Amino acid sequence: MKILVAVKQVAALDEDFVIGADGRDVDAEFLIRDLNEWDDFSLEEAVRIKEAAADPVEVVVVSIGPEEADEVLRKCLAKGADRAVRIWDEAVAGSDPIAIARILAAVARQEAPDMLLAGVQSSDHGFASTGIATAGFLGWPHGAVVASLAYTSGEKSAVFRRELEGGLLHQVTIQCPAVLTIQAGINTPRYASLRSIKQAAAKPIDVRNLADVGISAHEVGEQGSLSHVRRMYIPDKGHAQLIEGSAAEQAKRLAGIIRAFKGEA
Amino acid sequence: MGGILVIAEQRRGELRPVSLELITAAQGLRAAGDAVAVALLAADPARLVDPLKVAGVDEIITVQTAAAEFDPDAFEAAVGALISARSPSVVLIAHSIDSFGYAAALAARQGFGFATDVFKVERIEGELVATRGGYGQKVCVEVDFPGRSTVLLAVRATMFKAPDRAGSPAVTSFAAPSVVSRAEGGDFIEASAADDVDMTAAEFILTIGRGVGEEAKIAQFRELADVIGATLGCSRPIADAGWLPKSRQVGQSGKTASACRLYIAMGVSGAIQHLAGMKHVSTIIAVNSDAGASIFGVAKYGIVGDIFEIAEELRRHF
Amino acid sequence: MSHIDAVTRILFEEFATAEIRFFYVIGYAAIAVFFYGVYVQVRKYRRGAALRLDGSPWARVLDMVGSVLSHRTIARRDTGAGAAHRLIFYGFVLLFLGTSTITLQYDILDPLFGIRFWQGDFYLVFSLVLDMAGVMLIGGLLYMMARRGWMKLPKLDYARPDRVPGDPDFERPQYRREDWAFLWMLIIIGVTGYILEAARLVWLQDRPLVWQTRWWSPVGAELAEALRTAGLSAATAGTLRHGLWWFHGLIALALIALIPWTKVKHIFTAAASLLVRDPLAAQRLPRIPESQAEPGVAKITDFTWKQLLNLDACTKCGRCHEACPARAVGAPLSPRDVILSLREFANAALEKNVLPDAVELGVHGKAPGQVTMETLWSCRTCMACVEICPVAVEHIPIIVQMRRKLVEEGSMEPLLQKTLQTIHKTGNSFGESRRKRGAWSKALPFAVKDARKEAVDVLWFVGDYASFDPRNQSVTQIFATLLHEAGVDFGILFDGESNAGNDVRRVGEEGLYEVLAEANISALHQAKFNSVVTTDPHSFNTIRNEYPDFGGKFEIQHYTTLLRQLFDKGRLRMARKLDYRVTFHDPCHLGRFNKGYEAPRELLALLGCELVEMGRSRANSFCCGAGGGRIWIPDPVGSEKPAQNRMREAAAIDGLEVYVVSCPKDLTMFEDALKTTGNEGKFVVKELIELVREAVSHELVPA
Repeated sequence: MKILVAVKQVAALDEDFVIGADGRDVDAEFLIRDLNEWDDFSLEEAVRIKEAAADPVEVVVVSIGPEEADEVLRKCLAKGADRAVRIWDEAVAGSDPIAIARILAAVARQEAPDMLLAGVQSSDHGFASTGIATAGFLGWPHGAVVASLAYTSGEKSAVFRRELEGGLLHQVTIQCPAVLTIQAGINTPRYASLRSIKQAAAKPIDVRNLADVGISAHEVGEQGSLSHVRRMYIPDKGHAQLIEGSAAEQAKRLAGIIRAFKGEA
Repeated sequence: MGGILVIAEQRRGELRPVSLELITAAQGLRAAGDAVAVALLAADPARLVDPLKVAGVDEIITVQTAAAEFDPDAFEAAVGALISARSPSVVLIAHSIDSFGYAAALAARQGFGFATDVFKVERIEGELVATRGGYGQKVCVEVDFPGRSTVLLAVRATMFKAPDRAGSPAVTSFAAPSVVSRAEGGDFIEASAADDVDMTAAEFILTIGRGVGEEAKIAQFRELADVIGATLGCSRPIADAGWLPKSRQVGQSGKTASACRLYIAMGVSGAIQHLAGMKHVSTIIAVNSDAGASIFGVAKYGIVGDIFEIAEELRRHF
Repeated sequence: MSHIDAVTRILFEEFATAEIRFFYVIGYAAIAVFFYGVYVQVRKYRRGAALRLDGSPWARVLDMVGSVLSHRTIARRDTGAGAAHRLIFYGFVLLFLGTSTITLQYDILDPLFGIRFWQGDFYLVFSLVLDMAGVMLIGGLLYMMARRGWMKLPKLDYARPDRVPGDPDFERPQYRREDWAFLWMLIIIGVTGYILEAARLVWLQDRPLVWQTRWWSPVGAELAEALRTAGLSAATAGTLRHGLWWFHGLIALALIALIPWTKVKHIFTAAASLLVRDPLAAQRLPRIPESQAEPGVAKITDFTWKQLLNLDACTKCGRCHEACPARAVGAPLSPRDVILSLREFANAALEKNVLPDAVELGVHGKAPGQVTMETLWSCRTCMACVEICPVAVEHIPIIVQMRRKLVEEGSMEPLLQKTLQTIHKTGNSFGESRRKRGAWSKALPFAVKDARKEAVDVLWFVGDYASFDPRNQSVTQIFATLLHEAGVDFGILFDGESNAGNDVRRVGEEGLYEVLAEANISALHQAKFNSVVTTDPHSFNTIRNEYPDFGGKFEIQHYTTLLRQLFDKGRLRMARKLDYRVTFHDPCHLGRFNKGYEAPRELLALLGCELVEMGRSRANSFCCGAGGGRIWIPDPVGSEKPAQNRMREAAAIDGLEVYVVSCPKDLTMFEDALKTTGNEGKFVVKELIELVREAVSHELVPA
């Protein structure tokens, strides 16, 4: 039995970041990289399925990214993934989530898992597309925004609840293998101690290129994408009128606004 | 060929408000001769046709689905068939939980131009350009779709006003292809309400976010909310941690502060999902130690400072 | 035969040969039981993990003998117990040595070599000394009984904060029974010794050699007079003596046999524990050996033999229980009970002939003998327990080793987990950008040197709180100004500095600590400087005591000594005396950890402040509650916090104006506690740096 978990190394922006010279992305020097928050939950969900299973289950994490993405894969290995696969090729640069999904689908065909889990979205760009697009390429059943999951490894179907707007839940029974995108909060991800991360550094990461997964260069990158970034810019700062002064003075103003609202002043 | 197709969204027999916002978004994209058609997928679509009869809609297409509610396989097949039949240049859908469930698969398989969480759509020199956020909404990203004859855009809710004038579009119907669904929808379950607060009815809300840091500090704000007469709300991380019940969560996956007129957000950074539930409030006051927090982007007043200190000082006034 | 030289101890007079043989059989049996017990105990310790002690063995012996003979450690903060134990100790030692000399002559020297020393003047002095020793022993024991029976000291109450009434190991009455049994046993041996002596005198009252020298045993003689007056005849006394002799002898032999099996063993284990003491036990935590697969302690056998010995040395004196700040605020932790729990566990599991299976050796959990994670996470690693323990039990490494296991399995508060991840990602606990680390310096009218780019005399290791916490940033800016005005050539590492790791290590996240220590050491090695200064006692401790283990040997001082030197050299000069009435809070990591008690007090005196000490000061300073990673763990709602407890102590000082701290975390903790205890407006919390600034600045007006 096998569960494939797609993970992404996301980037947050450092202080005083600037847009790079081509005007289409932030200067890479200001990117602080980490494992996508949602992927932490989907990996945990996979590891829990594995731990609850009677038969052996292999949890394989896969990420599309350059060498520095090994760091998040190591974190996943430290948290209980059995094997890590990373796909990279210079041609992949500039891919949108759909091009990434095309590669993930190719990996999934090779790995032939019983279930593919991904995060609902990534904390940097929030496309909320990669997982379901992967299902599209694979032609697999899919479910998005899974807030609870009942699945026993090897079963022909799974029951999950997707979390709708307003906190409403919708129960769905889905045939497997399927692609599910996992919502944050579905579980409590475990802590990976630095020691276990260091030990994971000794585990090999299976690095493959596009040819290895049977994808050609024109299927990825900007050519293989469904959108193209024209430009990136920093929006005007918010229009909030700042209340200055000491905490006491600020609180006094705030109290005044509240009283005015309540018609007391 | 051409034209704009809007996919309306319904849930449990009610049209979702975002459907009308999409119609407004469509107006800005009309090129010469473009018609705006609104498709409504439902088990009994005729029932929901009336609310869609607004200005700017040329045609309402009813698509009858087998299942009463959203079904990813059925929706993908139906919308795909409709696009094939109509060949619109732009398809607008809501960036919603339902569209999360099929839009990307559809775009990927059909090769449509595709962008999600779009909050601005325009034509620049005839080219369709969509703007979305990036890096936690700290930047804006303009994307275009070279060489794509059909572009599918998932538009963020609450970015466009619903049309306020009625219209008289033609109503047609479209036969959805029959599919064997592999994901069978079941019951709806209300998130367990640990207390009976109704955030949607509250006029004055004090919301706390990640900045609170620890559960022990919740009590301080609960008490503060009590004395200032506000309903205590929270952002997602607080509800996920179980520090406050889910029923108090404001935002996309929580409640919308529909009746709220004064909203004080303390230690809330302003994730887009949270803003979705409150940015319409007329008076928003943001208190945050990070002057760069995106909550200040929607607030009327901002206080950059320590939320505990401000809370404590504020407490003295009541 | 009436010559005084002939006087000697009456031993087996009128004993039948069979009776004497019987006594010897029992005597040897008792000794055999004793040695078997010693074997079982040593085997127990040897089942622990290996450990090599460093340092000179002779220095260890001297230190241990000094502590034992002086009773220095026992008398600290409890002079009554110290004095009483000293009486018991010396009384017991004298009686034991005295009794041993009987065996020495009677069973060894006389039969083998015909040497007899045990007569005449020697015997008489011997009698007198042993009689006095008995008085000391009984006197000390009576005081100890009074402490337990009448004074009812809270620290001798065995009810546990980490268990609830109804739990099988909540009150542990067996300890109370054992305490009393031990006291009664010793006192009965002492008292029967005197009655025995008196009976012998009455019995042999017609023998001039005995009767005339009776006052060399004054207590026995006095008692003999009383017995005679009461009508005891010589014959009856002879019979009484015979019976008592057996009674006294058998109890004494029983005591010997019981030593390794009961609390009596502390006479050996306490001394042994003192012998293997590590003076830096809390200051410099152990690294995880390369060979060790799993970090920390999961099983009882993961403790080192020394730690297992530590467990046996505990005499339940309750000093750590009394000193512990977590216990004081009702947290489920008493250092004493951690030790006793583990001891019960070790005794049950490791005294068996066959070592139980690994699954039965797990020390984490809620069963009797196990330690709960709530207990372990309650610890502030403030070192109050280690510092006061009279028998050198080293609680902190035991607790941190157990925490390492909890960290590895992720059993910790979510907030702590998040903070550790944040520190890993950003190098600081505030989750701020590395770039902002030196941002506080931008507000200064002068540039602060980047020590990575140019050589400086003094490298200032700023630390997380002083760098990022807004309140502390103002202190940081003042300190920079003081250094600047004093003409000190100093610089900082800016974003090259990471969290020093002191508290991360005490949390038990050793892997992260290694990352932080190595990053800082490498940054420091790349800079050119002569010495390091820091305003943060936590950074101070780990750089001073722990970085050397990672190849980072730096000369470092806390700012208090640097400012003191700057005054001495005239580079800082007083502009005005501060006549505040102040009290000073010793930071754990400056005071107890590194004995930096004097410099801050000298500074306060120099500034003209009137220092009123709190009851708990210097080595007995009371932790603010932030140590050991507790600053990243929420305190339970509604319970008192250590900082609040401390504020109430300070508030009791009449006319207190300033509560002086010299640690960034203290400033945060106590300013908060000042408000929450309702003392705001009564006095203020200030950094010593702020007071220095006020005194040396010509510009500032008095606050």
